[in-house]
Amino acid sequence: MVVGNNVLSGGSHIVRAALLVALAALLETTLSPLLTFGWVGPRILVIGVVAAVMGLRDLQALLLGFFGGVLTDTLGGGQFGIAALGGVLAAAISIRIGTTRRKGETGVFLARAVAVAIVAYDLLSLIAPVLAGQEGPPVVNYLLSGVVPDVLLNAVLAYFVGGRLLRLIATKEERWI
Amino acid sequence: MGSKKPSAVSGLAALIILCVASLALFTIYVREGDSGPLHTIQLGASEVLRPVRGLLNLATWPFSAASERIEGVVDTSEKKKELEEKALEYEEGAAEAARLRQENERLRSLLQGEQPSFEYGPLARVIQPVGGQLTDRVVINVGTNDGVGPEQPVVVGNNALVGRTTSRVTPNTAEVLLITDQSFAAGVRIVPPEGSEDESGETTSAGGGPSEEESHGEGLLRTSWEGYLGVDYVDLDAGAVQGDFVVTSGRAGNRELIFPPGLLVGTVESAISQDIEQYMKIVVAPTVQADDLQEVRVIVGW
Repeated sequence: MVVGNNVLSGGSHIVRAALLVALAALLETTLSPLLTFGWVGPRILVIGVVAAVMGLRDLQALLLGFFGGVLTDTLGGGQFGIAALGGVLAAAISIRIGTTRRKGETGVFLARAVAVAIVAYDLLSLIAPVLAGQEGPPVVNYLLSGVVPDVLLNAVLAYFVGGRLLRLIATKEERWI
Repeated sequence: MGSKKPSAVSGLAALIILCVASLALFTIYVREGDSGPLHTIQLGASEVLRPVRGLLNLATWPFSAASERIEGVVDTSEKKKELEEKALEYEEGAAEAARLRQENERLRSLLQGEQPSFEYGPLARVIQPVGGQLTDRVVINVGTNDGVGPEQPVVVGNNALVGRTTSRVTPNTAEVLLITDQSFAAGVRIVPPEGSEDESGETTSAGGGPSEEESHGEGLLRTSWEGYLGVDYVDLDAGAVQGDFVVTSGRAGNRELIFPPGLLVGTVESAISQDIEQYMKIVVAPTVQADDLQEVRVIVGW
């Protein structure tokens, strides 16, 4: 696991992170639809992946993001592959932004990473129907009334909830570092 | 430093491979048919998740009920009154259209010697909405065990259309594509209310259902990305006016009889003809608000 710039390895941590991602995928497909209004709603998978992969090695993090995405694709009714790609990108963004993180800035880091990941996820959702040969929403309209409030909502959620998620997956030894 | 470089390279390679794998899954999903492996996996998972979805829906019910009550309290009395009046208008419109349809069916049966009727599945409860930002679908608690199949009309009451089932029908659940989803389309006919005058000044016969000649045009029902329900491709000289009923015509482009004719969709809220446009711009007020769905029925035969 990485705390600051230190890489730690722990089987227990990876298992907990995988469980968190699986739970996030389950909630994404069952709870999120009930809380979504128009184009805006909590992206539990993205928040879960960004928080869970924090501190993992690159390959572990990317595989975990992919796993979460595929699980969401399987359990949900959306176009298969989109959540998988979104999960991988969320993990990659978490890794990239994690390298610039300073100690004690967990909330801010999570909010930043989730905000960027949500932009990527929403843009994927915008492009997917077009790639599938369907009509997509008007781009400017979607960006203004979909992506922007979505980013704000999820960044705030990540800021307040992300820290608790991290405490869930961190082992006792890791919390002392 | 030296050990970090190979890690970064392997990370980048993994990122590329996983992105390609995701896109490959997407391509397979789009290209495979409804009975393809990925679709089948989703169907199985949907069946497995049914109890979880039911429980969550039950758990969130008090919140949705409370939010409705709060909305009712904070709502201004004027707006509430306006909404109540609108609801009454819709109900009256639906009742009128239902009567017209029944009369129409009776006349048709006299002409053709057969009585068209709908065969309904059991009353179904809406379990929960389906995820996805750009879709408007719900899952209902009836499936193939109840005689429900793919691409069947879903109604409230006897004939108020709210959507159709998709290909995702399991033994105990069915996914419903609502009329407010942007990918929903249905062939519709615009018919004048009973007793109204058409453009030629003739009054439609009392008690007689709207015939082809009395129709105020046909078109394709769709929901725009701006969020309003409209009828596309209605000729400028069709004569549709505010208050006309919108009912299914039994056709959707080249696909015939996805919906039986005569299902009520709503009333024309506004109809604008501009010479500069090729078609009329028609906005429809739906009979049933898709957000308020509780119980629906699937028409399994007609």
